[in-house]
Amino acid sequence: MGSRQITEKSLAMLRSLPRISLANLRDNPGSRKNNKRGRGQYGGDKHGAGNKGSNQRQNYMRLGYETGNNPFYLRMPHESYYKGHHHRREYPPISLLQLQKLIDTDRVDIDKPIDIASIVKSGLYHFFPDQKHFGVNLTDEGADIFAAKINIEVQWASEQVIAAIEKNGGVITTAYYDPHSLLLLKNPKKFFETGQAIPRRMIPPPDAIEYYTSAEMRGYLADPEKISEDRLRLAQKYGYELPVLENDSNYSMLCERKDPRQIFYGLEPGWVVNLKDKCILKPKDEELLRFYAS
Amino acid sequence: MIDDTEDAKAREAEIEMKRNISRLSSAHYNIINDRKPYEEPKSLAHLTVKYNRKIYGKYGIASGVNPNICWPTKQEIADKKEFESVAFPYTIKEMMETAAENRRQQNLKIELREKDVAAKFAKLDQWKKELNSKIAKKAAEVQAAKQKKERLVEEVRRHFGFTLDPRDERFQEMLAKREKEQKKQEKLAKREAKEKNMIAKLQQQNIEINEKS
Repeated sequence: MGSRQITEKSLAMLRSLPRISLANLRDNPGSRKNNKRGRGQYGGDKHGAGNKGSNQRQNYMRLGYETGNNPFYLRMPHESYYKGHHHRREYPPISLLQLQKLIDTDRVDIDKPIDIASIVKSGLYHFFPDQKHFGVNLTDEGADIFAAKINIEVQWASEQVIAAIEKNGGVITTAYYDPHSLLLLKNPKKFFETGQAIPRRMIPPPDAIEYYTSAEMRGYLADPEKISEDRLRLAQKYGYELPVLENDSNYSMLCERKDPRQIFYGLEPGWVVNLKDKCILKPKDEELLRFYAS
Repeated sequence: MIDDTEDAKAREAEIEMKRNISRLSSAHYNIINDRKPYEEPKSLAHLTVKYNRKIYGKYGIASGVNPNICWPTKQEIADKKEFESVAFPYTIKEMMETAAENRRQQNLKIELREKDVAAKFAKLDQWKKELNSKIAKKAAEVQAAKQKKERLVEEVRRHFGFTLDPRDERFQEMLAKREKEQKKQEKLAKREAKEKNMIAKLQQQNIEINEKS
């Protein structure tokens, strides 16, 4: 009896109440945050910074500082082989197994030359040129089951990797890119939208010149004749029959290489790519041409 | 028949304006309709080369920007060349030569060190033998000196007929005396041995002279 009365009463009350409108709506609790910090005797307490010490004063100590203790990072004796580690070039690795997976799942097209741009485009390789990452280090994990014929350009590779790729009739080149070129390769769309002309690739630093000019490492600055000699030598060393490139149906694709000054396949330094108009603008000025050719 | 009088156009524009109920600012409305946001520059930034290049890159030739600003000016090229001459002072060939020279020097250093080690290793057995014989000789000398001293002490004891404290004065005196005698005897023995040697030599000479004559 009583409950029915209550129900009826509340229904009657609901009917008499005004309809929901912007005027009588309230935000969800916690949905608004006041960005202002209270001041004065009642508003200005600790502002969530805790009581006493560095945390209250918000003068956070530098990393590794232990309030006067002998810091942990200085407690060990000097280890000279770490000297300058924060200046060294890093090459984030991708293994042959991962590359095979990218190829098998159609994330990388092997009918075209593969370079760092196409590897990044697969979405499964992350690198950050601003963090001293200088490109791909192709590692030998999965070298035994690697079975793709590719023309790949990486920034670092070992002898086993070179052997694994050449055994399958493929071609590998190791090439240096300066950080700015790598930024372009990582996100070409972003660069093209800035409306700048494609710059030239810079030459490698002195401590990398030996690697990128050596035929053993298939450097992009090495003598092509020496490279073809070394392909044979490597085949004999690892005991496989070297497939003849000239007889290959994809010979022209396998022979494709970038110019040492070139960043993108098919695009030369000095060209402007406009994605909106889907056009390429090429400079005609003599001085510009000379500059971009040098 | 299409009505394209001024009035009709104005009416169309008004209808379009009324259809736009997005309440977006004109710039935002342009952006979402893939047009450049401002027809007129609104701030100093809109006059920069960088901004105009960006507008051209994003909205193409329809943006009205002349694409020749996409390339660097002569001054910029000169600056870039100057920067590169400082940042990359060596050509690839020069760097290659330097690297080859460094590699050669390193190898030479290793080779020299290996040669040095090999030469020393060849002599190692001989040096070991020499060292061991030297140690043995020294040990033998020490042993002999010890035995001599012990003998002397024993003799002194025998002289007194009872065990005497070695720190005793009499003992010390006797020991000194004995040592003196010993030294004398040694000297004598040495002289005799020398004389014997001399005599043997002379005899040898005599025999040789006799044989010759």
